Amino acid sequence: MPPQQSQSKPAGKSANALLRAKMWYVILLVICAIFLVRLFYLQVIRHEYYRTTALQGQFKEYEIPPERGIIEAHNGNQVIPIVLNETKYTLFADPKFIENSADASTQVQKIVGGDVSEYEKLMKLDTRYAILKKKLTKAQSEDIEKLELKGIGTRKASYRTYPQGSLAAQVLGFVNDEGQGTYGIEQYFDDRLKGKPGELKAITDARGVPLVANDDNVVKNPEQGQRVVLTIDVSMQKYLEDLLKKGLDRARSKTGSALIMDPETGAIKAMANFPTYNPSEFAEVKDARAFNNATVSEPLEVGSVMKPLTLAAALDQGAVTKNSSYADPGRFEVDDAIITNVAEAGGPGHKTVRDILEQSLNTGATWLLMQMGGGKINETARVKWHTYMTDHYRFGKKTGIEQSQEVSSSVPDPKDGYGLNIKFANTAFGQGISNTPLQMGAALSSVVNGGTYYRPRLIDKTIDHDGTETIIKPEVLKQNVVKPETSKTITEFMQGVVRRNYLVYGMKQVRPQYKIGGKTGTAQIANPAGGYYDDKFNGTFTGFIGGDKIQYVIVIRVNEPGIAGYAGSKAAGPIFADVSEMLINNFNVLPKSR
Amino acid sequence: MSMSANLLKARDRRRPLSSEGGLQRRHRPDFVLLIISAILLAIGLIVVFSISPALGAQKNVSESYFVNKQLGAILLGIISFAVVSNVPPKFWRKLEIPLLVGACIASIAVRVFGEEINGAYRWIQVGGLSFQAAELIKMALIVWLAGFLSDRKRAGTLGSWKETTKPLLIAFGLIGAIVVVLQSDLGSAAVMIAIMGAMAFVAGFPLKKVALAIAVILVAVSMAIAVSPYRQERVKTFLNPTADCEGASYQACQSLIAVGSGGILGLGLGRSVQAYGYVPEAGNDAIFAIYAEKFGFLGSAILITLFVGLFARIMRTLERAPNEYTRLLAVGVLAWLSTQTIINIGAMVGLLPLKGITLPFISYGGTSLIFVTAAIGLVFSISRYTTYEVNTKTEEGSSNENPASRRGERRTHHTATRRRS
Repeated sequence: MPPQQSQSKPAGKSANALLRAKMWYVILLVICAIFLVRLFYLQVIRHEYYRTTALQGQFKEYEIPPERGIIEAHNGNQVIPIVLNETKYTLFADPKFIENSADASTQVQKIVGGDVSEYEKLMKLDTRYAILKKKLTKAQSEDIEKLELKGIGTRKASYRTYPQGSLAAQVLGFVNDEGQGTYGIEQYFDDRLKGKPGELKAITDARGVPLVANDDNVVKNPEQGQRVVLTIDVSMQKYLEDLLKKGLDRARSKTGSALIMDPETGAIKAMANFPTYNPSEFAEVKDARAFNNATVSEPLEVGSVMKPLTLAAALDQGAVTKNSSYADPGRFEVDDAIITNVAEAGGPGHKTVRDILEQSLNTGATWLLMQMGGGKINETARVKWHTYMTDHYRFGKKTGIEQSQEVSSSVPDPKDGYGLNIKFANTAFGQGISNTPLQMGAALSSVVNGGTYYRPRLIDKTIDHDGTETIIKPEVLKQNVVKPETSKTITEFMQGVVRRNYLVYGMKQVRPQYKIGGKTGTAQIANPAGGYYDDKFNGTFTGFIGGDKIQYVIVIRVNEPGIAGYAGSKAAGPIFADVSEMLINNFNVLPKSR
Repeated sequence: MSMSANLLKARDRRRPLSSEGGLQRRHRPDFVLLIISAILLAIGLIVVFSISPALGAQKNVSESYFVNKQLGAILLGIISFAVVSNVPPKFWRKLEIPLLVGACIASIAVRVFGEEINGAYRWIQVGGLSFQAAELIKMALIVWLAGFLSDRKRAGTLGSWKETTKPLLIAFGLIGAIVVVLQSDLGSAAVMIAIMGAMAFVAGFPLKKVALAIAVILVAVSMAIAVSPYRQERVKTFLNPTADCEGASYQACQSLIAVGSGGILGLGLGRSVQAYGYVPEAGNDAIFAIYAEKFGFLGSAILITLFVGLFARIMRTLERAPNEYTRLLAVGVLAWLSTQTIINIGAMVGLLPLKGITLPFISYGGTSLIFVTAAIGLVFSISRYTTYEVNTKTEEGSSNENPASRRGERRTHHTATRRRS
């Protein structure tokens, strides 16, 4: 074979090989060029479309929860918090990502305690969010995160915390698991305490966690909830709660209420109920009645504590004078019913209007009503008394206190109905009409302060998220409830009641340098089946304490005491005695100047 | 100095080398290839670095976990490059058998000890490192085919059924069995088929048979798709990626969104959002989408240009390869890298179905990096022995004066000039 030929053939093949390589290479280049064109199309021409589509997936809107406003109260001259917020952690599982539920639940249980099998069950639920445990501490939460368990996480949650424990529990109410204020101030002021949620519009990762480094993020900070300062005095509240509890135990009663208010402003200084509960453990309360602020939500027949108000109405209208006296028959027959007095009143006799209070004469109260009608119970009497009850003392209306569960009672219509005379005769000594302790306290306040009805209130001031303070001023709901002379007379007569009966109430002494007055009530309890129970009573007491001016009005109610004697004197009276003593000793009650 | 004198000098220098089996004297290797590779590696590292926190957040590992592993991989890659680039090309002939045996063992090991992901066995864990067997198979395939094809070519039996076609078909079948059936890795199979096809084609495999092979491949691919619902799903999503963005086409859709939202200049290095859990496999298969989101059309064009530059340098080396064997080695490497790049980017821009294959140099992942750098090392070592002009010589030691070899070749006269640059 000639060398030339032997060389040329493979050489030709080699050239062929290079040509093939080039062909293939050109195809590669063409593909790359196509890619460039395609990229130009996607990234330049269709950019807007993809940008929008991307944002649809990436941009998410969140609500930033505002911090709930704290609740404060007075403590002497200071203001101290009584409801705060606390960050705790909720332990949750996303069962979709749980790999080994047995192992995960064991590890979780080691940190937070509880029941392994319960956790395991929750981790197998067909859901994306199962709450394993609430209220983890920060340390527990960190320990959980350290485990790096797939599908297990913790999430911040804000809880109310109560540095004073169960203090004023019913006044405060609580915040339920959904963040809703329930009962008390929490419910009444829920909107203000809650604040306004902020907004976070942010680009997030696929799981929804906002990416920090992005200019497109829109953040509107939440408006924190209003801070609320109560008129309540923390230490007075403590004393009142203790004394109420002590008094209820002494009277063998299970439930009762008490309140102290400032008659000059309507400010509630203390408001206590029993039974009570700890708002941080609201979920463990078995009997929902413990949540009730009975001082505003539980109207009951008040009994003889009505008599000072009846007398005030009669005096004020000029139906009687402070020096009036009358021949008490010991019994009145009204509409086929018979009104009598307690045995201690001593039967028929000559009585003064002062005796009506001091001896708690039902016949006396009936006689006062008669005087309003010009000598007998008639429509004029009924209408006049009704006007005082509803228009002056504001019965039948809510007082307007900042409590969610406040109820008002109903006052019978003076013109329409059956047995109106006996109905109204009964109301004159506090039967057949139900009022809350607060209604009685507010009405008495208006009588003893010279005739101004202030709206009872629990809020001293509110402080906005931006620091703006709104001071709640005393609000006059009714001027001239009674004339000043009437006010003076009633105040004097009620002091007489205490002077006469202080030993019954268990007071050691009558302090002449103070004005201490009051009236007991032993109210029969209405039987839902009709009529009244023979053996069940509520003891009530409304009273006041002060010097030249009345500083505090006090209302006590003891439900169904289990001891002998009149419930008002024996069960409620001693609590009033303790409370007035406590106020003198601790709360700067100014003695009379003369 | 005149042009002709220059030329003469160059030829004089080459002459003795041509006579000894086509191997040229060792000279300065192609540092441009090295530089482009280094730039690509650096880009990959930067992208992995910038999405490491995002990847870490998804996988619940530290922010630097991924970038640290990638740094380690690059270090191993540099070592593998250093080793391979110092192996003389002809030495690879001795490694054919060990490599093939190693590849077989790795394939079986993957199936036996491997971790299953999406019904596929591709990885084995060795200590803290995971090893992807397919990469070793690709390497072994190239080395074996270069030897096999250059032998057949020298023997003139390239067209023979018995000598060439049959063994190739057997190899093809084996790859199909191992990669597709055992490892369920159609992407790697495609790369291997491309390697085989390109090498056989360039070696001079008869065109009729090439056409036949393409037909066979098409049938095989259709069958592979027909037997796997997973692949059918992928084809469907490819044909209509926006039909089911929340479901089956989620990955394709999110990749397109990433690419498209990049715009002209991109969102910026630290501004990728799609990396945060939206695009699956943001560090590996989908890294180009993230890159395109960060750097926009400009960045994408630069990256593709860099890849084209890399291909061009490998092309240059293979054109100037001293002999058929080394040329085929370079062809194999070029086929490997280019196919993988095209399949990867093609999927990200919605022109090809998703394959689950890494983007050479850029993707996070140790095995891919180590073998890619090894492949570059191989080409780099070949570039030490290239001729100064396009080498159409065969291994019979023909001279360049051969008129047949001069035909159609226009760049000869520039070699001296180029050398200066």
